[in-house]
Amino acid sequence: MVEYALEVNKLTKKFGNFTAVNDLSLNVKQNEIFGFLGPNGAGKSTTIRMLCTLAKPTSGSAKIAGYDLIKDPSKVRQKIGLVAEKMIMYEDLTAAENLRFFGKIYKMPKKKREERIDQLLNLVDMEKWKDTQISKFSTGMKQRINVIRALLPEPEILFMDEPTLGLDPQTTFAIREIIRDINNKGVTVILTTHAMTEAELLSDHIAIIDHGEVAALDTPQNLKNILYKSDTSIFTTKIMNLTHNMIEKVRSLNVVTALAQQDDQNLKISARGAGSLNQIIDAIRVEGGDIFSITNSNESTLEDVFLTVTGKEIRDHATDKSNILQHSTPQSRVR
Amino acid sequence: MDLIDIIKDSYYIMQKDLLGLRRNHTSLAALILLPIAFLLMFGFIFPGANTQEHIPVGMVDLDNGSASNAFVAQIDTMNKNSGAMNIENFSSVEAAKTQINRGNLYGTFIIPPGFSDNLTNGKSANVIVYVDNSNPQVSAQIESTASNTITGLNGMQAQINVLKMGSTTNKTMNTQAIVFPFTQNIETAIPGKTNYFNFLAPGLMIMIVMITVMTGIPEAISKEKEMGTFDGMLSAPINQVSIILGYTASLCVKGFSQCILVLVIAIIFFGVTIQGSIILAFFLLLLGIFSFVGIGILAVAASKDQATGTTIVNLIMFPMMFLAGIFYPIQQMPWFMQDISKIIPLTYAADAMRKVMLLNANINDVLIQILILLVFGLVTMGIAIPLFRKSMTT
Ligand SMILES: Nc1ncnc2c1ncn2[C@@H]1O[C@H](COP(=O)(O)OP(=O)(O)OP(=O)(O)O)[C@@H](O)[C@H]1O
Ligand SMILES: [Mg+2]
Repeated sequence: MVEYALEVNKLTKKFGNFTAVNDLSLNVKQNEIFGFLGPNGAGKSTTIRMLCTLAKPTSGSAKIAGYDLIKDPSKVRQKIGLVAEKMIMYEDLTAAENLRFFGKIYKMPKKKREERIDQLLNLVDMEKWKDTQISKFSTGMKQRINVIRALLPEPEILFMDEPTLGLDPQTTFAIREIIRDINNKGVTVILTTHAMTEAELLSDHIAIIDHGEVAALDTPQNLKNILYKSDTSIFTTKIMNLTHNMIEKVRSLNVVTALAQQDDQNLKISARGAGSLNQIIDAIRVEGGDIFSITNSNESTLEDVFLTVTGKEIRDHATDKSNILQHSTPQSRVR
Repeated sequence: MDLIDIIKDSYYIMQKDLLGLRRNHTSLAALILLPIAFLLMFGFIFPGANTQEHIPVGMVDLDNGSASNAFVAQIDTMNKNSGAMNIENFSSVEAAKTQINRGNLYGTFIIPPGFSDNLTNGKSANVIVYVDNSNPQVSAQIESTASNTITGLNGMQAQINVLKMGSTTNKTMNTQAIVFPFTQNIETAIPGKTNYFNFLAPGLMIMIVMITVMTGIPEAISKEKEMGTFDGMLSAPINQVSIILGYTASLCVKGFSQCILVLVIAIIFFGVTIQGSIILAFFLLLLGIFSFVGIGILAVAASKDQATGTTIVNLIMFPMMFLAGIFYPIQQMPWFMQDISKIIPLTYAADAMRKVMLLNANINDVLIQILILLVFGLVTMGIAIPLFRKSMTT
């Protein structure tokens, strides 16, 4: 048995001139749940597509379950399962027909296939819907079938690209339970998500990637400690007459590394360096801001880390790499 | 072992696709309606020349003598057999021409005054056939009826004359042999009466299969790509070739069902008869598919989305349809088009189909067509499959 489920070495993917994944290297141990975070367009899905043999890397290599991604793609395919961004299901077929089709192309023996279909439908509480056409399902029902479809051939490594996107809390909870459950049975899970709590709850390790590069990689707890140890502070401030100009003014401060508006009055500001609090208060006062309260939260959340590491710009193709926070890249990064 | 897996996976993919079709009533209806629409449409748009009936034609008899009566009687007799024309009498040339200009008549016969007198005085009697030649097919038919009538009358008159001459010289004569020394007996390759549908049906079958397969491949693959289900197949341990094979197989089933439908309709409603081996015909259909499916795969490989794929396929398919001699014989086309049609696989497939179905040709008679189709298929597939595999993982 190989030590690493995933060994990614300088994986790069270019679309024309645009580099979606840039020299990405990371290892994932057997039987881990590995969280893959990053802003929109960071390159998470592209990385997963490459690791599932669906996209050809421009350069670099990877080993999946010990098999070389480039040289031995068919072996890799026997080891992996995929819950992709788009659901993998034929709308005209019933739940059972979908599962059966995939069971067949995975060469599962008939008896085992049928047993496992029933068992998995049972797992997601969908036995009643076995012979109903997918097109008649709600999003949550579809996603439950989509997840068990990936589990059907008993993969060693399961890639899940935002499996809880657009689901209600009940279904989200159910899917998280399944992830834990299969992980307990020995499956390695690679999980991308934008739900920080989800990543924090489930993952053994988390990689935050940005612009196709690993910006931080550690256990959730260690990632949060980085902020605590560094000279970065997270302020939450309530301003009664909050305006757009105030936000821009604060955002433009050099000490401010990240900023998120939480509602009409509350701002969350991540800043580093001495005197940062004074500068922020000054900036708000200059714009005539009426500060109701300001608190410095020592206990940072994963979201704070995420914002600190990936910066304050809203991104998706706003590919200006110049002032990304190299300085705040944590030292505890494992290589 | 690998090959068996490919075949098995192709079968599963075909099975899945056909299952989906059974559920999707719109696609199913389209599948059935396409061949029916084609058959009816092309059957009525391109009718054979001898199928025209009840053409309205005028008759202006300004002579009213014994000879003109004979002429009218002769035309009526001939027309009774064919039912080609509806003859209406007019008292003046102007009245008939007005009706022609209004589009109520396609032509008129005019028997000028003195017609009978000319004949009795040993001059030739002249009938005027006035036709609306804006419709070449119909005018040709009226002209030919007129000339047949005249030939018939001439023959009868000549035989009478010969008999008269014979009685003066006291010799017995075979008047028929003297008046018509040359005769013909037409024997046809296809026994019985044929019509345009006999010509059309074999070509239409191969064309429908072509449309179904060629548009079906890009449609199916793009749909899988757009829905995201393609990733499910590509991340599974199957050979990519089985995806193409599976879809082609599924499309073959659809195409063959349409062919059977065409055949049944053609036989029941349009009196088409089949002389040759149906099995050989279906083998040729399969070979035809093999010869042009590569082009469909190339279209998939070369295009990002369904719209592009379909456009490319249509761009290739439409000239093929009209240049392959499906609706009219290639020999009727200008020389440069005949040259183009020679590089289209559909030409050979349609030709071989027609030979087998109508002329009862056996496999040796169509060996050249089979070889050409095979080579064409091997070459296009040889180019298309590697490109398809390459396009799968961008
Ligand atoms: N086929 C493609 N052609 C061109 N550019 C692409 C292609 N696929 C992805 N990209 C680009 O690569 C970048 C990374 O995309 P990717 O889908 O991997 O991001 P992501 O991290 O999954 O984002 P999200 O959180 O929004 O799902 C994006 O800027 C995207 O526009
Ligand atoms: Mg994504």
